[in-house]
This record gives sequence, C-alpha cells and structure tokens, in this order.
Amino acid sequence: MAQIEQSDKGGKKKKGAQKKMSIHVDFTPMVDMNMLLITFFMLCTTMLKSQTLKIALPTNEKVSDEQKNQAGESQAITLLLDVERDAKGQPVKDAFGNNKTVIYYYEGALKTDDAGNPHREQLRKEEFLGNENNVQRGIRKILHDRNKKIIDEVNKLKADWRDNKFSKDDEENQRLYEEAANKVRNNNDLKYPIVMIKATPDANWSSVIGALDEMSINEISHYQLENLNNQERKMLGLPLVDEPAKGGDAAAAPAGN
Amino acid sequence: MGKVKIKRKSTLIDMTAMSDVTVLLLTFFMLTSTFLQKEPVQVETPSSVQEQKVSDSNVVNVLVSPHGEVFLSVAGEADPDASVAYAKELNPDMSAAELRKEKGKWASDSVRKDAIMQFQQDYNETAKNKVQLTVDEVAQLAKLGTIAVPFADVKKFLALSQVEQDKIFTEFNKLSDEEKEAYNKNPNNVRVGIPIDTDKGHTNEFQMWMRAIKKVAQGNYPKLNEALVKGEGIAVKADKNTAFDKMHTVLDNLQTLKMTRFTLMTALKSQDE
Repeated sequence: MAQIEQSDKGGKKKKGAQKKMSIHVDFTPMVDMNMLLITFFMLCTTMLKSQTLKIALPTNEKVSDEQKNQAGESQAITLLLDVERDAKGQPVKDAFGNNKTVIYYYEGALKTDDAGNPHREQLRKEEFLGNENNVQRGIRKILHDRNKKIIDEVNKLKADWRDNKFSKDDEENQRLYEEAANKVRNNNDLKYPIVMIKATPDANWSSVIGALDEMSINEISHYQLENLNNQERKMLGLPLVDEPAKGGDAAAAPAGN
Repeated sequence: MGKVKIKRKSTLIDMTAMSDVTVLLLTFFMLTSTFLQKEPVQVETPSSVQEQKVSDSNVVNVLVSPHGEVFLSVAGEADPDASVAYAKELNPDMSAAELRKEKGKWASDSVRKDAIMQFQQDYNETAKNKVQLTVDEVAQLAKLGTIAVPFADVKKFLALSQVEQDKIFTEFNKLSDEEKEAYNKNPNNVRVGIPIDTDKGHTNEFQMWMRAIKKVAQGNYPKLNEALVKGEGIAVKADKNTAFDKMHTVLDNLQTLKMTRFTLMTALKSQDE
C-alpha cells in the first residue's frame, strides 16, 4: 500500500549521503470505504420532512338548532366523498387494489319528494383534477367559482404581501397580511360558501385530505367534517343507520385557519 | 534505425484528492442526517399543498395502519437546554448546580417513562387483570418509542428479543384483513395495535394513553402541554388508502377526549396535481 520509493537517478551514489525518499500512500481502499459509508448514510436519512395540515374538529357536544340551520341556507355546499362502485354497490378496485375517488355534491338543502325520499338527480358527480395550465378543473372549479370574489380579494392582498406593502418588516408584513386575509375570508357581504364534507365509510383517507386541501386552496374558511345522514345514505345506496338523537359530530363550527 | 522505446508508465492514480472529497461528503451526510424512525407499519401519507413542516419535538404521533390498527409515540423536547432556560426564567436565583440538574429534563425518554407510569396507574384502577411493570420494563418500553401492543400484552412483548418483536409486525402486515382480525382476537398472541373500539361507557386504551400523556404534560412538561393545546402536538399519520371508517374511529376518539385541534401528516405536492 504505502510504498517508499527510492530514487536512483544518476549512476553515481555518494556514500554517506542521505537517500531521497518519496512516500506514496495508496488511498484507493480509503475511498472505497468512504463511498460505502456515504451510501449507507444516503440510504438511511430522511431529507424530506412530512408536511402537516392543521385541523380543528367541532367538539362532541350538542349543537343548537340555529347553527344547524345555517347549513340549509343558499351558501351551503355539501361534498360527499365516495369511491367508484359497481352495480351491486361494491367498491371497484383496480389492479393494485386501489379505489377511485368520486365526489358527489349538492347545493343548499336536500330536496325531497312528497314521500320524503331525496331526488338522486340533485347529486352531481365530480373528481379531484387539480389545475391544468393554471385553469381549475373538476371540483376545484366548482369551489373556485363559488368563492371567486373572496379569492380575487385575497389574491390582491397576496400581491401586496409579496411587495412588502403592509410593512417593511417581514414578520409584521406576514402578520398584517394574514389578518387582512382572514377578514376577507369571513366577510359575509361576499357570500362565502359553507362547505360540508362528508365521507362514506369506504372513502379513501386521501380524498378527505384532498377535500380539506381544496378548502385552503380556494380560501374557504367555513367548512366542517360531518357524518352522512340517512337521506344522503339513501341516495348513495348505503345501508341506513340509526340517526343519533344528539348533535353528534354534526356540529357547525368553522374549522381550520 | 533506432528502436522505439516504449516508456513504462505507472498506472497509479493519486487518490488523495478523491479521498478528500468523499470525506467531505461523508461529513455532510453525517451532520445533516436524521435517521428514519422505525415504525411498526410503513404508510404512504396522502399529499396536500400545505407547506407547514411537522415538528419532531414535543409531539404525540398517532400512526394508523391501513387496516386500522393504532400506534402511539411521544417525543419530548430535543433541546436539552430548553428546560434550563425555563427554570431560569421562573427562578432567576437558581444556583449553577441546580440548573445543571434541570438539563435534559424534558427529553423524550422521561416523558415516555412518566406517561407509562401514569397509564399503568389508570389502567390498574379499572382493569380486571392488573399489569405491573418492573422499573426495567418501563425503561425498555420507553426506549422502544412506539406503543404498539395492548397493555395486557406488554410484558409478553418485552420478553421477546428485538428481532422477534420486529418479526411480529412484519408477519402481521403480511396477513389478509380477515386473518388480522382473527389474530388480534386470540389472547394467546401478542396482539398488534392499541385497542380503540368504542364500547359505550368504557374508556378504551387509546383514550387512556392520550389522557395519561396529557396529564403528565400538564404536570411536568409545559412545552408539550402548550403544543397539545395549540394542536401542533398531535400528529395523525395514516395511509392514503385507509378507508374513512377506520379514520373516523380515531377522529371520534380524539373528539371524545376534547382534543379537537390536531394536525394531519401529508406529503408535499404542487397545486397542479
């Protein structure tokens, strides 16, 4: 490995003179070992930290009728998260065992016929499609159009925030921006929508996260996670349950933000 | 004609520079790395556009497997000097020796130990078959980090070697849904997951754990308590394909505990997806 080379240039060698030595150390094994260690550390580390989505659920207590009635107003949109089903009502799974998410939605209160059965036609079907070339598609377009006034206002504030117009100080700028944006989001003159998110037992967790995510993308600050009621179960062809007498989860409290 | 002399060149390459570079890279990776936490199940979190990072100190992680088993892990304060600063603020006259004792008081290990002791006390008040862990077993369980089995099976679980413990989870994850249920019904097995069924008028173990953690946080760990109240202290992590009814049970339990503010773990995506 480490060689000590004697230079023997020139024929004449003086006796007694010190021999010139040059030391070569072969670093190849050292590099090999280092590479192994690097590979180990690269494989064992997590560079990416998980992101979090903040959520505030309403408490499990009884809710006044007044709050419940709010949901029946024209501002309400109900999203029903479900999966694609076959004719028998069983979830359809693809080759990897994954479901396909489907969203049904209806606006305002549920319309029923004289016998108290809801019309299936008032449910409209959508999907999570995201944006394409900055154009909203799928359920995002529906929510975007409903909340357009507020989104425009918030975008104006966002532009101001980017230019540090609220304050020269970054932290203060951020704080004032958030304050102003929240004011806009909760401005009832702009007719903000109230979104009810309800998921069927078979719905994917990712669809629930997706729905909550749409709320923040579309600047909707009035939304809640709720249980399906029997009317909705009927429309989706799910088995009915005993409706809880108490308020249960069906509380109306603005969540998030 | 003179002979063309082929010069013999040595093929040795000087590896010193290469070695320098690799050592630098190695140092970088060693300093920046945080190791992957060992979890009983691997889950793939759904993605969202949220950019808020999850904190890795002062947090209770609720991990939900695709089949609905629940696992808990608690992390305390990562900075050992945080408790010293806190004590100094409360009582500026503390001597240096007293302050030294405060160092690292909020570490994960001590939070876990306290929570386990508290849970054991609560558990034995109501349970038919009481479980009394030795000091060693408490330390062992705290070191594991994740509470992954019902409390009745903890002694059995800790008696196993680490390899056997891991094997329980890997074997369990291979089972089909029906087999998993059958496995968890047999009391002779080391069952997997903290019991979370909602029997009426009966607090399940998940709720007891959360209560115990909350109680010790209120007593001794102001930073953790603050995080729990604000909602940053509870992080729910679930697979994207977990059916909503499983998650509903977990969310319902948190609601019953009045822990209505919490965070959901997601991966990052852009708005276009």
